[in-house]
Amino acid sequence: MDAIKFTLNGNEVSYSGSGSDRLLEVLRDTYHTTSVKCGCKEGECGACAVLLDGTLVNSCCVAIGAVEGCSVVTLEGFRETERFAVLDRAFAEVSAVQCGFCIPGMVLAAAALLSKNPHPTEEDVREGLSGNLCRCTGYNAIVNAVQNAAKEGNGLW
Amino acid sequence: MEKISQPVVKKDHQPKMTGRALYVGDYPSEGVLTGKMLRSRYARAKVLDVKVPPLPEGYFYVDRNDVPGDNNVNIVMDDTPVYARETVEYIGEPIGMVVGPDEKEVNRIWSEIEVSYEELEPMLDLRKADTVFFDYEYGKGDMEKAFAEADKIYEEEFTTGYQDQTYLETQGMMAQPEPDGRMFVHGSMQCAYYVHGAVMRALGCGPDEVHILQDVTGGGFGGKEAFPSILGCQVAVAAKKANAPVRCVFDRREDLEFTSKRHPSLCTYKVAVKDGKITAMDIDVKFNGGAYTTLSAVVLQRGIICANGIYNIENLHVRGRALKTNTTPSGAYRGFGAPQTFFAVEMMMDHISRDLGVDSLEFKEAHLVKQGDATSTSGKYHFPVPIPAMIDEVDKACDFRRKHKEYAKPQTGRYRRGIGMSMYFHGAGFTGSGERDIIKAVAKLHKYPDGTVEVLASNGEIGQGLRTTFPKIVAHELNLPLEKVYYNHPDTARVPDSGPTVASRSLMTVGELLRRAAIKLRGIWKDGEDQIVEEHFKEPDFVIPFYLDKFQGDAYPTYAWAVNAIEVELDTFTGISKILGAYGSFDVGTPIDYNIVMGQMEGGFLQGIGYASIEKMDYDNRGRIRNNSFSDYLIPTMKDVPNLKCMLHVEKYPDGPYGAKGAGELPLVGAPGAYVEAMEQALGGVKLNHAPFTAEDALAVLAKEAE
Amino acid sequence: MVNGYAAASLQEALELRKAHPEAVPYAGGTDLMVENRPGVTYLFLNKVPELKAIAEDDQYIRIGAGVTFTEALADDRVPQLMKEAVSRIAAPAIRNAGTFGGNLGNGSAKADSVLIEFAADAKLRLVSLGGERVVDVDKFYLGRKKLDLAPDELIAEVLLPKTGLEQYYYQKVGGREALAISRVSFAGVFAEKDGKITNIAAAFGAVSDTVLRFKDLEAMLLGKTIEEAKALKADYLAAYGERMQLTRGRVSAEYRKTVCLNLLGAFLEAQGI
Repeated sequence: MDAIKFTLNGNEVSYSGSGSDRLLEVLRDTYHTTSVKCGCKEGECGACAVLLDGTLVNSCCVAIGAVEGCSVVTLEGFRETERFAVLDRAFAEVSAVQCGFCIPGMVLAAAALLSKNPHPTEEDVREGLSGNLCRCTGYNAIVNAVQNAAKEGNGLW
Repeated sequence: MEKISQPVVKKDHQPKMTGRALYVGDYPSEGVLTGKMLRSRYARAKVLDVKVPPLPEGYFYVDRNDVPGDNNVNIVMDDTPVYARETVEYIGEPIGMVVGPDEKEVNRIWSEIEVSYEELEPMLDLRKADTVFFDYEYGKGDMEKAFAEADKIYEEEFTTGYQDQTYLETQGMMAQPEPDGRMFVHGSMQCAYYVHGAVMRALGCGPDEVHILQDVTGGGFGGKEAFPSILGCQVAVAAKKANAPVRCVFDRREDLEFTSKRHPSLCTYKVAVKDGKITAMDIDVKFNGGAYTTLSAVVLQRGIICANGIYNIENLHVRGRALKTNTTPSGAYRGFGAPQTFFAVEMMMDHISRDLGVDSLEFKEAHLVKQGDATSTSGKYHFPVPIPAMIDEVDKACDFRRKHKEYAKPQTGRYRRGIGMSMYFHGAGFTGSGERDIIKAVAKLHKYPDGTVEVLASNGEIGQGLRTTFPKIVAHELNLPLEKVYYNHPDTARVPDSGPTVASRSLMTVGELLRRAAIKLRGIWKDGEDQIVEEHFKEPDFVIPFYLDKFQGDAYPTYAWAVNAIEVELDTFTGISKILGAYGSFDVGTPIDYNIVMGQMEGGFLQGIGYASIEKMDYDNRGRIRNNSFSDYLIPTMKDVPNLKCMLHVEKYPDGPYGAKGAGELPLVGAPGAYVEAMEQALGGVKLNHAPFTAEDALAVLAKEAE
Repeated sequence: MVNGYAAASLQEALELRKAHPEAVPYAGGTDLMVENRPGVTYLFLNKVPELKAIAEDDQYIRIGAGVTFTEALADDRVPQLMKEAVSRIAAPAIRNAGTFGGNLGNGSAKADSVLIEFAADAKLRLVSLGGERVVDVDKFYLGRKKLDLAPDELIAEVLLPKTGLEQYYYQKVGGREALAISRVSFAGVFAEKDGKITNIAAAFGAVSDTVLRFKDLEAMLLGKTIEEAKALKADYLAAYGERMQLTRGRVSAEYRKTVCLNLLGAFLEAQGI
């Protein structure tokens, strides 16, 4: 009956609820990391994406029991990094943020892509962020922002 | 690029980019009760009994009996109930709400409620629907003569389906009783004052006893125009009963199934042609309004005004009806009735031209309206119509004229191509005299002693950039750095009613009020003093007054224009069509921030392409919407239309700020016409009459041909 | 943990499986968590090293049940046909979590990796405390959401033949370019030796309770030359047309059947038939 221990944005935490609880809800309700958004709860929109041991996953499709011993990074943690600062400037410059609801997931998807592929083509960006729905922008600005961030952050990824 | 058009970092960039922005679901839940809606299981039924299990302390069941004021929601009409009356009218209609501190416990109680119904026969077929919510008619010229003298008469029917707004943040509202007795309602919305009026009525209280705040809102697209008024009343009534904060945030399934979406339509066109030109159009428009009227009246008005497209048709008769069916009430969605009729008229023009053996683009060009011509409602196109130049821009971008002729030739092989074009306007602002007679917008500027200026208006930032563009206008006139001017989310306790965030009106209409207010403030500016200026809407002098009873006059003061082209490659084995390119030239006047306007154009255009192609939603023979999840209702992803190119063409409007016109809705409207015409070419020159046109539809056409 | 069992080794996983047959084996979670049935208990397998390996022997590429799609895409040993199929699954976040075992265990005929396993005559290694058995993938599926998996068993590995998958035809038909669940998926595997067809496997996904493959119809063309196959093509396609009884779905059965037959025809054509 041990609690589930994991690190959240670098801090060790232990969760004592059910192992079947969704990571999404645990993050929002227990740890108040509300940058993690709920868009569909079925893995079809990416608004709840987080980095789990450095890989992008949809937190709605992860049971907290599977997170034991893992590292979870949400935008609350990632926004403190230099990599974020580059993405921040790139998104700002092309006004890629509209309603903002998809943005936390989108930013983490971009970070996951760039850390695997620091010089993505446009096609790579569109593939890498294809699991993150945005209804506002038509995506062009976001694609441009990620490509600009790759250029600006050269060496950082 | 003009200075005002130069992009700046959006004022809401930082909080949204860092994830710090609080949407209604993000407020801490300590002390907040969660609400879950009890919904009708039948499309039409008498509710005989609702058996609620014993409620633990702190849990409540709320229904119409708890409404302290009037159980009718104030929208255009008031037939929508806060909570269902004796009879439910559609599947999903809210009967009541379970509220309590623990969500799991709320769910348990909810699942144990037993409702007994007496089923009644629902009306589900738009063609047979006989309850007419609204019936409008207008016309001009001599129809009888034109049809009598015609060389040929064409008659066709066009249908369009639902489209769901699919904002990424679902509907959500929260109500909190305040210590001073006021009810504070906040959440995801476009129109704080609409919610204000509705909640006042439901609670039966005065304007000062309720105040409404727009929280950071995760997209609206029309879906949060009227709907939050209903949900706002429901949570306010619950909070009143529980005397505690109540929040209700929909899950995606609820949102897809039970919130308002674009009206499905059925349009019949009868067109007279003489000497190769159209002489008359007789048009019948039917919109499926769903179970309650909500915004159907105004959606229908805009729809029928656009029914003849941007073509000069001397003899015109248009009848439009919004009909009741026992389905989720339809409502506002970006474009507001216009996408349906523009689709129909563009296809009609295309079909006639092909029958006449003329290229559809040339045929349309021969009928284009121009400055000085009469509008459908006998108003006037007061300003230049830039369509010919915009056609050229699009042609240059994608080699339209050549491809359009080439793809019209017979094609063989598995993959076949097509290209289509649509041209259209979007009437900027409210239809008719609404702005002058109903809204009467007021906007204010508050200058503080420290020299900062706050914009006071009720228009909501929903991603379209108002928190940036409003201050940009004011800073520009006051010659202040942009940091000195700011615009917060509206709280009705603090801001005047500058009208709702709808109809592509905010920037053009309220932005102009703010520009004038800034000029006024500049004139009286005194350093170190607290100063407030106020501006009121005034209809421009040139406008020919619009009379709704006759449907005559200027329905809009000016128009935003667009030309779209879409090129597809159809896989005849699977019916899947790849979009090779989507090209749009858009005239929204002067962009008040180039990036923001481009973001609107690209986003709207992609929504339109979704509407035309993959966004299929329908209800079954019980009236239940089946496409109720993100795996069943598909919107475009980042990979679907990689080659989406938008261009701006600027035809300034003298009564908009720096020449700006309405922008938000325009880019969505024309995609179905362009896409479906492209599919016609790829399918070998068939005539298609509906949107969305899916892969399944494409294979059905090929199968029919093979027979 | 409260309401859940986590295994750190295969041995522990099998012990927990036997002791708690009601606990649902959890690999990547991407399918299970969509429903996340209230009160459900999971047996977490995501940290079991024995299930996370890709290996090869003389005959097979052995993909551990806990290998994610992303991991498989990065491995040189995984056949191209399998990579093509799993690269079209949903989107990166799902491929990062979703596993081969989970795709099988979910029991859906829409599972993109399972389609390839059918076309490739793959085998599955199932393990329990009592031992292990190897079954053909098509025998593992007993019907809609029905699997030949004992309550104390776990899926350990997918065994894909090392050779014979080079010549293939694959197409997934979804509703859009990404985040698309298959509406129809098709995989054909072809081989010939000395001018005679030695393999012409055709598998159809997302159209019935399980992935469909008709070995008796394939036999029509086995052992034939390309020229002989051409002569039989019409009969062969007609036989498939007759045999395919598709389940109803959001997208009509007629549409899906037409697509199946079109893709089957395209598969033959790509082999010169």
